[in-house]
Amino acid sequence: MEEERRRLAEAISTAAADKAPLRLRGGGTKDFYGARLDGKVLDTRGYHGVVNYEPSELVVTVRSGTPLVELEKTLAERGQMLAFEPPHFGQGATVGGCVATGLSGPRRASAGSVRDYILGVRLMDGRGQDLHFGGEVMKNVAGYDLSRLATGSLGTLGLLLEVSFKVLPIPKSEATLRFEMDERGAIEKMNEWAGKPLPVSATCFHDGRLTVRLSGAEAGVRAAREKLGGESVGDAPAFWAAVREQTFEAFRGAEPLWRLSLRSATPPLGLPGRQVIEWNGGLRWIASRAPAQQMREAAAKAGGHATLFRSHDKAASVFHPLPKALFDIHLRLKKTFDPAGILNPGRMYEGF
Amino acid sequence: MQSARNKPSAPRRTIPTELLQALRQRFGERFSTARAVLDQHGRDESPFEATPPDGVVFAATTDEVAEAVRLCGQHRVPIIAFGAGSSIEGHVLAVQGGITIDLSQMNKVLMVNSEDLTATVEAGVTRKQLNAAIKDTGLFFPIDPGADACLGGMAATRASGTNAVRYGTMRENVLGLTVVTADGKIIRTARRARKSSAGYDLTRIFVGSEGTLGIITEVTVRLYPQPEAVSAAVCSFPEVGNAVHTVIQTIQVGVPVARAELLDALTVRAVNRHSKTTLKEQPMLFLEFHGTPSAVREQAETVQEIARENGGEDFEWAVHPEDRTRLWNARHKAFHACIQLRPGARAFTTDACVPISRLADCIRETIEDTRTSSLPCPIFGHVGDGNFHCVIVADPNNAAEMQEAERLNQRVMQRALAMDGTCTGEHGVGMHKIPLLKEEFGDDAVDLMRRLKMAWDPLNILNPGKVVVP
Ligand SMILES: Cc1cc2nc3c(=O)[nH]c(=O)nc-3n(C[C@H](O)[C@H](O)[C@H](O)COP(=O)(O)OP(=O)(O)OC[C@H]3O[C@@H](n4cnc5c(N)ncnc54)[C@H](O)[C@@H]3O)c2cc1C
Repeated sequence: MEEERRRLAEAISTAAADKAPLRLRGGGTKDFYGARLDGKVLDTRGYHGVVNYEPSELVVTVRSGTPLVELEKTLAERGQMLAFEPPHFGQGATVGGCVATGLSGPRRASAGSVRDYILGVRLMDGRGQDLHFGGEVMKNVAGYDLSRLATGSLGTLGLLLEVSFKVLPIPKSEATLRFEMDERGAIEKMNEWAGKPLPVSATCFHDGRLTVRLSGAEAGVRAAREKLGGESVGDAPAFWAAVREQTFEAFRGAEPLWRLSLRSATPPLGLPGRQVIEWNGGLRWIASRAPAQQMREAAAKAGGHATLFRSHDKAASVFHPLPKALFDIHLRLKKTFDPAGILNPGRMYEGF
Repeated sequence: MQSARNKPSAPRRTIPTELLQALRQRFGERFSTARAVLDQHGRDESPFEATPPDGVVFAATTDEVAEAVRLCGQHRVPIIAFGAGSSIEGHVLAVQGGITIDLSQMNKVLMVNSEDLTATVEAGVTRKQLNAAIKDTGLFFPIDPGADACLGGMAATRASGTNAVRYGTMRENVLGLTVVTADGKIIRTARRARKSSAGYDLTRIFVGSEGTLGIITEVTVRLYPQPEAVSAAVCSFPEVGNAVHTVIQTIQVGVPVARAELLDALTVRAVNRHSKTTLKEQPMLFLEFHGTPSAVREQAETVQEIARENGGEDFEWAVHPEDRTRLWNARHKAFHACIQLRPGARAFTTDACVPISRLADCIRETIEDTRTSSLPCPIFGHVGDGNFHCVIVADPNNAAEMQEAERLNQRVMQRALAMDGTCTGEHGVGMHKIPLLKEEFGDDAVDLMRRLKMAWDPLNILNPGKVVVP
């Protein structure tokens, strides 16, 4: 692996010297996500494997080229999991892509997001320097929290080499319930339940049906199930996998798929298109041909933002445009990590 | 004390009278250069010599903070944000002089959103004020450093507390910030949605930047539903090691314990004296369980079982809410109780955090190392996170004692690093741990932090001499 790391460092320093863009890539399952793809592919998959796994510590350190399925399997063998339930979006998803996109799955609303589980990273910046931030301990306030900054930065700040995650035990018991109700009622219910000490671990509303997953200790799940009522869902794991992987029928279709992240209690938006609601109402997927402007305004009004998640046409900016003062400090941050501007240029915003 | 580590990285900068006049004109009575006010803002809970600023602005709004920053920026004068002043590594000391911006008057709770479980507060709101304001909503804010710190200061130090093992730290619980940057611009790092905003996760960098990258004026945090049932207990052990093992095993079997705090026998004695409690003066765990009544019972039984296997005694329950409050108040006051072991003394507080499998060793070696010292060195901490403090109590007028305390502190930090841990799990870098950062992360990583600081604050006016130095 030493040699592979040297290869990556060389590729980056050469590119920096030539000012030649590089496109950091694992399995390419998330190529669809983000704005522009530019540069010569630098494949991370040669840098793979678990560096350190201490189940009793609830910590795993893994190289970024490791397939996500492999990591999840390793954890499951010891009764543990990545609590943020990352979407794979394809066979070859890697750990690096999971962290660089910062996308979390259904359990996000109750368990937290990818970045909440990052304890440390080893990152190669745009000069080919091999840097460590954070570590394998549960709390660390030594210096700026750059490990979490790298999460979700779409490879524009550096190539993730290794990531240390906090992992959690797989819940002892789970149950999935379904309720027939309209959108307004579902949003109210999800928020009401979230404000109560109930073991709700995922919610999904689509087409007049609210599906709710409970996870935790047996007694707690049983008690909550009795309290909530509803109808028990048969093949629950398959259902939640379909939501997470967007193989669910509502996600299919040729329309652009928008991802609106908003205040969870926001009432129905009334936007045209097919909709799936997750995260207690905080995440609304809308497959729609409505103009970008309309999506962005609706999201902003609800205290959030809209991302053009999947689309063939990316003429509209993929991510919510940044106000000038924010854009400026993004730019300075990008220059600090990648002075030559070679890492995934334009993948997040035009200009860095 | 003026040890090597307390030496300013650069001399005090000169403060033009022009600036003082401009501040007086703009802020009137809310700008002070009175000796007592300067002194009060020139010290924190660290053992370092007081180092007062040249003036203090009591800001009332975000715009005022921005104005003060711009005025200081014009003259390259340092600006130090000041919350409750409870930090312990010299964070707020005006080592290069300058103007302190005191945020304690920005103490309004701006919004409580019980629907989506968030609250937005001004930076000067303290954790107790916030919890009092949301008492009737059925929600609570879990992060509780011992001191009644304010949310701005807690965000700036990435604070944690006794609940971190279950609810996380400021790192996980701050959702968005309003920040004044070094050039006096006002930015919001996230909109109100739970998911942080588009672009880089700037919230995460400002959280824990100790006033060196921007001044936080508003904080949006996550709230939690009050658990249906809460039960708290104390459990005595023959040795510290038994108590530590109990916590480690509890975490490892996945019991979602809400609080698991260790106190060694000396700390218990100090607490008994200070808070008039009658706890058995033996190593002890303070435990708390949150959940449904049945889950709480189940958790407590499991932990009692683990404790017994480790030589622990039967739990003593704090049944009534008042008893629980009394217990945790006593825990929160442990730091001051320890200092009171020698009235007039100051404390060097170690802050090692190590992987939990190394925790028992780290604490044992620390006890062995401090046993031969003449200074009292009580130990307590958030052992569920792998984090503990050794409070080394020394007489500030006795140079030999102060040196001895610093030597012991350095050794704890080295021990933590040798065990793949960190020199600071929650208190931060301040002016004291700057050299340790290099040992922990290497020169290149620290250099990147430094370059980031210079990119955002090219004049080096925001709390200079802390975290990273040019
Ligand atoms: C008895 C006692 C117990 C403690 N227990 C704990 C504990 O359990 N866990 C823990 O984590 N800490 C603990 N601490 C340390 C301390 O309370 C925390 O670090 C706390 O978060 C500091 O908050 P403050 O409001 O006092 O900040 P201050 O001390 O006023 O400031 C701390 C730092 O933050 C900066 N700052 C303050 N406000 C702002 C702002 N608005 N914008 C930008 N920068 C700002 C300051 O410039 C300074 O660098 C304890 C301290 C004491 C005295």
